[in-house]
Amino acid sequence: MRTMKRRSFLKTTASVAAASALPAVVRAEDEPAATVVVVHGKDIPKMLEAGIAKMGGWDKFVKSGAKVTLKPNVAWNSKPEEGGNTHPDLVRACVKAVEAKGASKISIPENTCHDENATFKTSGVEEALKGTKARLYRPAAGDYQKVDVPKGQICKSAEVPKDVLSCDCLINMPVAKHHSGATLTLSMKNWMGSVSNETRRAWHRDGLHQCIADFSTFIKPKLVIIDATRILLTKGPQGPGDLDHPDELILSTDPVAADAYAATLFKKEPFDIPHIKLAHEAGVGCGDLGKVKIERVEA
Amino acid sequence: MPMPMKKRTVVRIAFFALFSVLALCVLPEAVRGANRILPGLSPLLNLGGALGARRFIGLLWVPLLIVPLFKGRLFCWWVCPMGFAAETASRVSPSKLRLAKIPWVGKALALLIAASAGAGYPLLIWLDPLCIFNGFFAAWRQPVTWATATLSAGFFSILTLSLIIPNVWCHRLCPLGGLQEWLTHCARAFRGRGKGASAGDTASPCVNRRVFMGFAVSGAAGLAGSKTLGVRQTTVVRPPSAAETAFNALCSRCGNCMKACPYGLIVPDLGETGIDGLLTPVIKFRSKNPKQEKFCFQECTACTKVCPTGALHALSVEVKKSTPIGVAKIDKAKCIAWEKNEYCVVCQEYCPYQAVTEEERNGVQCPSIDESKCRGCGACESQCPALPIAVTITGDKAARNG
Repeated sequence: MRTMKRRSFLKTTASVAAASALPAVVRAEDEPAATVVVVHGKDIPKMLEAGIAKMGGWDKFVKSGAKVTLKPNVAWNSKPEEGGNTHPDLVRACVKAVEAKGASKISIPENTCHDENATFKTSGVEEALKGTKARLYRPAAGDYQKVDVPKGQICKSAEVPKDVLSCDCLINMPVAKHHSGATLTLSMKNWMGSVSNETRRAWHRDGLHQCIADFSTFIKPKLVIIDATRILLTKGPQGPGDLDHPDELILSTDPVAADAYAATLFKKEPFDIPHIKLAHEAGVGCGDLGKVKIERVEA
Repeated sequence: MPMPMKKRTVVRIAFFALFSVLALCVLPEAVRGANRILPGLSPLLNLGGALGARRFIGLLWVPLLIVPLFKGRLFCWWVCPMGFAAETASRVSPSKLRLAKIPWVGKALALLIAASAGAGYPLLIWLDPLCIFNGFFAAWRQPVTWATATLSAGFFSILTLSLIIPNVWCHRLCPLGGLQEWLTHCARAFRGRGKGASAGDTASPCVNRRVFMGFAVSGAAGLAGSKTLGVRQTTVVRPPSAAETAFNALCSRCGNCMKACPYGLIVPDLGETGIDGLLTPVIKFRSKNPKQEKFCFQECTACTKVCPTGALHALSVEVKKSTPIGVAKIDKAKCIAWEKNEYCVVCQEYCPYQAVTEEERNGVQCPSIDESKCRGCGACESQCPALPIAVTITGDKAARNG
């Protein structure tokens, strides 16, 4: 009896120790905090296809009949090659792909900074969407809905386009670029192009980086695709300024990890961008690249 | 009436409808300039404006100087939409008041406008019926406010007058009618003299001493106006291409520019530019119009293309981009970056002309205006998050140059 007891005690102790040690081992080696897929190439549709395949295929994100909302950055009256907006080829490739998966509705609400007619035209996105069912529009006052941001520290509520709130699949597809106010604008900052002007102004007033991080605790895109085919290094967010050409698309389900990787293209430490650090601390995602698995794909 | 009533009514309704459509500014943008046609027909507006502004602005006014020589006031009785409205009101009016004792004010007005325009400062140009008609339609653009609605005041005044004293507008007050009366008289007198008419007929208005005096006094008034009111500076922001001098006189208050602006930035002034500037167009950005979140887009030239008088004149996009309408001023005490040391520079983000420069202070970029690049488009003001707004546009020329 005694030996049995001792043996069972030892067994139990050993298994508890093993059980507690095991996840640590797995997390460190097999299961990183986040995965970022980086596709390098020249042909944007091909790059997207390769990236999505690595992410597990469109089926993981879009079901037949789904309402899909895209958030590219189409804020400025600037040409595709100037890097002020998401590349129209990327928007088109994405729209075509979700259309092929049977999306019932594709919305692209964008609160442009410049005149929307000129912006949609100059950016090339209007042309890129011809022949697709996607609807690109600038939300009117009635297209917004005020929502609470429960985990927000400063930003407690925000006016967000209804199509962003009520869709089945939300895809954030910003362009990576320099930003005079926020240092860089990547995926989390991109939501400022979606919310109402009043919400935008409030964020600036109340503390820009904290508000960006706050909103990220609320908005949960299924997929983040950062356009880093060409990146604006100066004079952002509008440009024109100095450009670099990483020729990359950055895909992830974790916006913080995607932004952290994108920051390195600008030779910045991710945590030097305050909203990346704040979002990481708030548990939105993982901005510590040491814990992020980067999978590189050539296309 | 010399023609059968029914046919004339049909023609008048057709013209009324046509000009209403033009004035409503609902046509596609490529032919938007067509709403200059109606006010452009008036020599008082178009030729008067051209003389005042010393700018060539088309020849639409020519027919109305020639037709009266042969056909009298054909335009008034068949084409003029304002006249149709006034005539209709007169017809339904129960009033028994008669015109007999009322002097022909419009003829004096025509003289005044013509002579003062020649002197460079067209007085009372805005009494022209065609711009009054146009202004009525321009008043109903979105959003309708009391200020925009004031543009319709002239139209309603004429209808009211016509109800009180039937036919008083067309037969006694209208300056465009008055001008045509003069021309008709001149032609008749000329033809009469050819036929060896009596001395009584040659006392025609063409050579009449009163007319000469009228011209002289009006010309002097115009000259005085151009030297005093015309050169007065204001701090309001005018639409792009606005005449630097004599704007208040040149502007006919037709409302075309206000209607043309796709962003609703241009509104009628209600006192900021003086009594002589009442209802002239001014641009109000967000600090003066809290619901306004738009700015004067660098590639838009809509307002400049629809002015019948030359108060504004058509600009190409390239010229528009280099034409300042004002200049931005930053009040550092209100600025989020300067005062609160917060990340902002939204003004720099939005500026289409890269006219906002930054300097780093305590790790935060703080904005300043490069006045040589600033066009006063209001992009910065439209989105400045500070409360109250820290960056505003002034039309003050001294500030712009200084």
